[in-house]
Amino acid sequence: MAVGYQPRIVGFLCNWCSYAGADLAGTSRISYPANIRVIRLPCSGRVDPMLIVKSFELGADGVLVSGCHPGECHYLEGNYHARRRFALLRSLLDYLGIEKERFQVEWVSASEGKRFSEVVSSFTGELARLGPRREA
Amino acid sequence: MELIAVEKPASYPDKERGERLNQQLRDKAKELLERGAVECVIGYERATDGSSARPFFVYQPEEVDRLIFDQTCTHNLVKYLLNKKDKTTAVVVKPCDSRALNLLLNEKQIQRDKVFIVGVVCPGIVETGWNQVSQTLQGRCQRCRQHTPLVYDFLVGEPPAEEAPPAEAYADVAEIEAKPLAERQTFWDEQSKRCIRCYACRQVCPGCYCSECFVEQLQPPWVGIKIAPPENNMWQTIRAFHLAGRCSGCNECERVCPMDIPLSLLNRKLEKEVWELFEFQAGLSAETVPPFATFKKEETLGIGE
Repeated sequence: MAVGYQPRIVGFLCNWCSYAGADLAGTSRISYPANIRVIRLPCSGRVDPMLIVKSFELGADGVLVSGCHPGECHYLEGNYHARRRFALLRSLLDYLGIEKERFQVEWVSASEGKRFSEVVSSFTGELARLGPRREA
Repeated sequence: MELIAVEKPASYPDKERGERLNQQLRDKAKELLERGAVECVIGYERATDGSSARPFFVYQPEEVDRLIFDQTCTHNLVKYLLNKKDKTTAVVVKPCDSRALNLLLNEKQIQRDKVFIVGVVCPGIVETGWNQVSQTLQGRCQRCRQHTPLVYDFLVGEPPAEEAPPAEAYADVAEIEAKPLAERQTFWDEQSKRCIRCYACRQVCPGCYCSECFVEQLQPPWVGIKIAPPENNMWQTIRAFHLAGRCSGCNECERVCPMDIPLSLLNRKLEKEVWELFEFQAGLSAETVPPFATFKKEETLGIGE
C-alpha cells in the first residue's frame, strides 16, 4: 500500500433513504471518512450499471451503491430490480479483474445515520487494505 | 437425422440426402414466394469462393435453386429481420438462431405473423474462411445441445431421435475464473488493447438493435472516442452486460471480430451467472419473462448483507 494512500469512493445514494441517512449522520455530527464522493439519485434502481463501470474506468477505487432496505423502496420495487442487476454486474467485474470488494451495495434507511458512517468507514478500510487499483 | 460426421464439411456426408434436404428447402421457398405468402426468403447460397456460404435474399421464385443449407452456413440470419419489419419474410434458422428469434419476439421487435420460420435440423457448423473449409466443428457447435430449432413453421430434415449429451459448456470460462486476479487483469488488458472498436460485434448481433447505441451517445459521453484500453474496456463490459440474459450464444460477434477477441468468454460468463442466479436461459421461448423484468422479494443474491 502506498504511503498516505487515500482510496476514492464514488457513492450513489438513493434520495429517500441513504441520502437522508447520510444527512442524518451529518446533522448528528457523526464523522466518517471523506473518501466518499456522494452522488444523489432518485432510487438505487436508477443506478445504471454503466455509471459503475464508468466510475471504475475514470479511476474510482471503489463504488458504493446504497438504497432503501428491500421492501421499503419509495418506488416500491426499484431496489429489487437494482439488486438483480448488481448481483450480476458484481461477478462480471470480478471476472474482468475488479475485485468484488470494490463494488458494494448496502441498504441504509433514513434513520440509520450511524450505520451509514459505519458502512463508509469499513468500506474505506477495506479499500485501503486492497491498495490502489492497478492501472489498465 | 443423425449427427453428421465432419469428414466432408462442405456438404452433407450423404450427398443424396444433402441434395434432398436442399430440394426440400428450395421447394418450400418457391411455394412461399409463388403464392405470395412472403416477400422475401432469407437463406444461404454458396459464396463466390465456391466453398463457404453467404446470406442470400430470394425475391423471385426462379432464384430459389441457389439456396443451400450445409455445414458452412454459419451466419445468424435473424438479424436481417430487424430491417424487414413491415414485410412478411421467411427466414432460415438453425437452433441457435431460433433462440435469437425467440428473443426478438419476446422483446416485441418482430411480429410472429410477419415471419415464416424455416427451421433446419443442424448438423453443427464448421469453421470456414475465404476458400477454406475446416474439418472441425466450431466451438459453439461442439458445446451445443440442440439440433432442432426451438421454433419453426416448417422443418427441413428430420429431428434426431435423441439429442446428443451436452458437452461441458463452461470449461474455458471456469479456467479464467480460476486465474488469480492479477492474471485476469492482464488477460483482459491484452484483449482490450487489441480491440479497434469497429463495432462489428454489435452490427452482427441480433440482440443489438437500439436505434442509438450508448457508445454513440455524446451526452453523456459514455465511451470516449480514443481507441485505448479504458474506453475499450467500457465498450466491451457494457456491450456484454447489455446482452446479459439475452445472448443466445450464436457467437456471431466472435466470428466477425477482426481482432479475434474471445467475446464468447464474456457472453458465456454472463450466461452462466444468469443461470446460476436466476435460473434463466435466453431465447428458449417467446413468452418467458426476462430476468431483469422481474424479481423475487425473498432472494438476497449476496447483495447488501
